[in-house]
Amino acid sequence: MSGTVQMEWHQTPGNQVDSHYCPSCLENMPSAEAKLKKNRCANCFDCPCCMHTLSTRATNIPAPLPDDPSKTTMKKAYYLACGFCRWTSRDVGMADKSVASGGWQEPDNPHTQRINKLIEYYQQLAQREKLERDRKKLARRRPYMPLAFSQHTIHVVEKYGLGTRLQRQRPGAPITSLAGLSLKEGEDQKEINIEPAQALDEVEPLPEDCYTRPINLPEVTSLRQRLLQPDFQPAGASQLHPKHKHLLIKRSLRCRKCEHNLSKPEFNPTSIKFKIQLVAVSYIPEVRIMSIPNLRFQKECQVLLTLTNPVENITHVTLVGCEEGDPEDINSTAKVMVPTKELVLAGKDAAADYDELAEPQDFQDDPDVVAFRKSNKIGFFIKVVPQREEDGDVTVSFKIRHDFRNLAAPIRPSEEGDAPTEAIWLTHHVELSLGPIIA
Amino acid sequence: IGKQNTKQQLIFCIANIAAGAVVCVESEIRGDVTIGPRTVVHPKARIIAEAGPIIIGEGNLIEEQALIINSYPENIMPDTEGVEPKTMTIGINNVFEVGCVSQALKIGDNNVIESKADLGKNVILTSGCIVGACCQVNTCEVIPENTVIYGSNCMRRVQTERPQPQTLQLDFLMKILPNYHHMKKTVKGTSTPVRN
Repeated sequence: MSGTVQMEWHQTPGNQVDSHYCPSCLENMPSAEAKLKKNRCANCFDCPCCMHTLSTRATNIPAPLPDDPSKTTMKKAYYLACGFCRWTSRDVGMADKSVASGGWQEPDNPHTQRINKLIEYYQQLAQREKLERDRKKLARRRPYMPLAFSQHTIHVVEKYGLGTRLQRQRPGAPITSLAGLSLKEGEDQKEINIEPAQALDEVEPLPEDCYTRPINLPEVTSLRQRLLQPDFQPAGASQLHPKHKHLLIKRSLRCRKCEHNLSKPEFNPTSIKFKIQLVAVSYIPEVRIMSIPNLRFQKECQVLLTLTNPVENITHVTLVGCEEGDPEDINSTAKVMVPTKELVLAGKDAAADYDELAEPQDFQDDPDVVAFRKSNKIGFFIKVVPQREEDGDVTVSFKIRHDFRNLAAPIRPSEEGDAPTEAIWLTHHVELSLGPIIA
Repeated sequence: IGKQNTKQQLIFCIANIAAGAVVCVESEIRGDVTIGPRTVVHPKARIIAEAGPIIIGEGNLIEEQALIINSYPENIMPDTEGVEPKTMTIGINNVFEVGCVSQALKIGDNNVIESKADLGKNVILTSGCIVGACCQVNTCEVIPENTVIYGSNCMRRVQTERPQPQTLQLDFLMKILPNYHHMKKTVKGTSTPVRN
């Protein structure tokens, strides 16, 4: 059977960045452009005080007409304001702009030039080291870069880059600008020299009233406000400038073993649907708690559970209690007796709601085990005996074994005629938390 | 409306509502309350003067389900003798948004008390303050001018300009509300018991 049937936990599938978008203006941005803009939206700003989104407000100010300076006309002036903490751009002295968007300038960092030069130097260094390493490894190159990987994962090779799975930060190395900006081979490599940083003997002395001046508390920025602007880190609230809003990403997941796409969201930021959505809930019968009686210590109680069949064909389910020393059974605090008979679930019929004349399928349920049956759902009883008289929830666990038919398998020309798809039996561990013991 | 009138008749209030104020009949005003001109009191707002009179200035906007109450301090029973009634003063151009509760005895001008905010008895608001939504301020202090209290932890900051008076909104409401609600009668100066 082609394709694997395997349950993946959420943390292990390969996470990849699918698309970037701004959470407030919902504008999509291609990855290259996002990297260039340092993953920030060009139009939207964050309040430097409370980190909410800033909105643009307009006021009417009188302004002299260009033709006749003595007459004044009302012109629109725009400023940024936060609806939550009432911060405005006028608080830091930013003048009102005459255009609604695009007029806001970010303050210049005096160290930008030096930083850029350092980045260029290190890029060149990384490139040179990468070439040398490649030359050494050319003889025994391993195919560890499958074609399925996007270009984001290529920089797992670079020395100063981050792998998508290796999220370790290397202190002291500029990270963002390096990825993807490597020189092509054969290009003229200009020698870049940087001056080493100068250590100064003389440091600016502290102001004289440093210890005696009373603190103006509203003017002091909090650590969070300060560190959100790492290039300036202003200590005073009157220097807090708004920053562009950070972009969010949509992720796509891949299976680690066979590189199959598990979950791929839509490209459009306004849509929450998925192009590919292979989630376990749509293949595995779902156990839900329907009603719990009063749980008493060491008294047998009957709990009503439901099993819902998400697939369209009939599923057979067997429940088995956990054995002694089961490595998956760590949390259970009660003994549980599950029904021993096999439970049959009808297939999910999408038209069942509309078809009133549908004949109820005759399954001959044991009334001690099956409480009710409704289209693809059944209710059944389990007996629970809480074993521990402690504060906390009563937890039971058992195994559920069901048959699974992979309908997504490609159609093969079968020699024996129309052979039905084979059923695979899967077993899962189920843990239920039933709430506290009522004394 | 007939049924409502009989219910209102049981509430005996001495309200001085200045001419030019718009006070809806569905609002509950109890006790000795003076309301200045150009103030709008929405239906279902409650102004209760239990432990002393309330004087509300002009240009205020008191929205639905707002509660302005001059209540007895917690440790004093209503029947104790010798308790002096304290007057609650509210200045001009304040906004009491929907669902807020204010027991502060002294409120200045141009303040905004946002929805579901809660002001304690010992707070004194000066001018230009904004108490954010759902913020509970029950300290014993004078809030300095132009302070903004926001966030779940009641963070504070000072803003450079005071909030603008809601003149546009007030004008609009004074025109529209009488079209849909009955108004309480305005009485100038003398405190005569007004039955609604």
